Amino acid sequence: MNIQRVLTVAHKDLIEVVRNKQAMFPMLVIPLGLAVMIPFGIIVMGSDPTMPTSAFGLSSLIDQLPKGILPPDLSESQKMVYAFTVYFMAPVFLLIPSMSATVIGSSSFVGEKERRTIEGLLYTPVTDRELVLAKIIASLVPAIVITWGSFGAYVFIVDTFASPVIGERYFPTANWYALMFLVVPLLAFLTVALIVAVSGRATSSQGAQGVSFLVVMPMILLTMGQTTGIMLFSTTVALVFAAVLVVVDVVVLYAVAGVFHRERLLTKLL
Amino acid sequence: MTSTVPPVTPVIENTHELVISATDLSKRFGNYQAISHVSMQVRRGQAFGLLGPNGAGKTTTVRLLNHVISPDNGEVLLFGEKMTAHRADRLRTRIGVQTDTNVYENLTARENLMFWARLYGLAPRQRKARVDEVLDMMGLAHRARAQAGSFSKGMRQKLAVGRAILHRPELLFLDEPTTGLDPQASAELISHLEDMVHSFNTTLVMCTHQLAGLADLCKDVGFLVGGRMEASGPVEQLVAERWPGHHVRISLGAESDELIARARTHIQNESAGISCEINADRTLHLELPDESFTEGVIASLVAAQFPIRSVVPVTYSIKDLYFDIASTTGEVAA
Repeated sequence: MNIQRVLTVAHKDLIEVVRNKQAMFPMLVIPLGLAVMIPFGIIVMGSDPTMPTSAFGLSSLIDQLPKGILPPDLSESQKMVYAFTVYFMAPVFLLIPSMSATVIGSSSFVGEKERRTIEGLLYTPVTDRELVLAKIIASLVPAIVITWGSFGAYVFIVDTFASPVIGERYFPTANWYALMFLVVPLLAFLTVALIVAVSGRATSSQGAQGVSFLVVMPMILLTMGQTTGIMLFSTTVALVFAAVLVVVDVVVLYAVAGVFHRERLLTKLL
Repeated sequence: MTSTVPPVTPVIENTHELVISATDLSKRFGNYQAISHVSMQVRRGQAFGLLGPNGAGKTTTVRLLNHVISPDNGEVLLFGEKMTAHRADRLRTRIGVQTDTNVYENLTARENLMFWARLYGLAPRQRKARVDEVLDMMGLAHRARAQAGSFSKGMRQKLAVGRAILHRPELLFLDEPTTGLDPQASAELISHLEDMVHSFNTTLVMCTHQLAGLADLCKDVGFLVGGRMEASGPVEQLVAERWPGHHVRISLGAESDELIARARTHIQNESAGISCEINADRTLHLELPDESFTEGVIASLVAAQFPIRSVVPVTYSIKDLYFDIASTTGEVAA
């Protein structure tokens, strides 16, 4: 595999994405809302002792948390703020890369088909595997950068507005590091690989996005459930999950490259 | 078209080497037989014109030769090696292809070419100089930093051709390369292609149905009609085979049908081995064994007091051949 060619195609795709304002706008605005605006509102209102926790529908969820998972001696409003920032926001950061990846990845191949640039690319020395990997990287990098950027903003929000409520800096916890720097990239890779595979067989961007949503969302929802239920309560589980994802990612990469079909890509739409 | 970088010294070797050898290629898409038993050979340094009307199978043939699609039957040898999925990527480093005008619209002209330069593995030091050279050669230097999306069709065409020749390929496929170009740009491109073929021994396969000026560049052609290679070889040879002997058109001083018919009968009676037909424009078309027969025929007509206005030699071009083949195969010529 020629890494230079992989990076060249990925770099070209990234430039195209960055210059596509229509694609960039929702990719930046939605994470901003999810990682900054919503947490900010809930932290500010939740930290108000006069506001009942039931107002946010979180009291029943707090009751379902494993015993001893929350620090002792927290008031009701402190519990709400702590539980919300540490546990309930985690799935959002699995959703953000998947959303970004869907926007970019679903048009990776089919977008080139629609713009009729794919044929020129297929005549170059780029191999099928290089092309698939390049398309995955081109979708993965912005997805992870946006997620990590959102995470940075979220850390700032929590430190600025939630830490004073709790009385100390408590965020990010160790499990959040495992989530952000192991699980998110690996899960995003898996998501992107599946979306790119869909894009390689779709005949339109809209079709690719629709099918990608159907393919990816069940997996994301399952993982989100597992994350809130288990992973964030145990670093070991998070690491095991990450290890499993590594294996799954490699298998999926080879499978996606294996089903990639140059001729179908060229003749199906054109 | 001026060059900013000193040209690389051409390496001319083994001019008889077969760069393309395709045998019995067939390709079907569903119920549509796109290519049927096509064979072709192109030598190193040869400029080969792949001609045919729209839908004849020219683009499909180029795709098959480059293994972008695989044939149902037959095989392709490029540079003496069988074109397979495993070898295709290595062999493609020696090939340049332009099949359309679709470039990356969000990238500038320079970025488009730099992208191609990296894909073909040009060394970092070479890239900028070569990209500058091609931009200059294609007359795009003044728009190097403009996004290709703002380009006219002709400028996109130049950019697409520019990226195909960027890495100085040994084998170059161009599909209608002069479409959309103004006459001056078209002439400059043809001149540059001639330079590539003659000075650098580049092998050129040019798909087209634009026949003007083609014969100057492509001495060898193949005629694809309905997915079949109806004729292939040097233009002169194909013309000579189709229209053997020497041909002249005689215009008589009077245009009465009776006079023309009498003249035709006279020629046929007096001159053995000469074919004479009456054209739609009431001139006589004579097919003679060779040029030396012309004088005798004229003398005979004059002696019989037929008024001769003009005697013009008829030469056949690649265009005549094209229309003849298209008409005999029942295809509508483009």
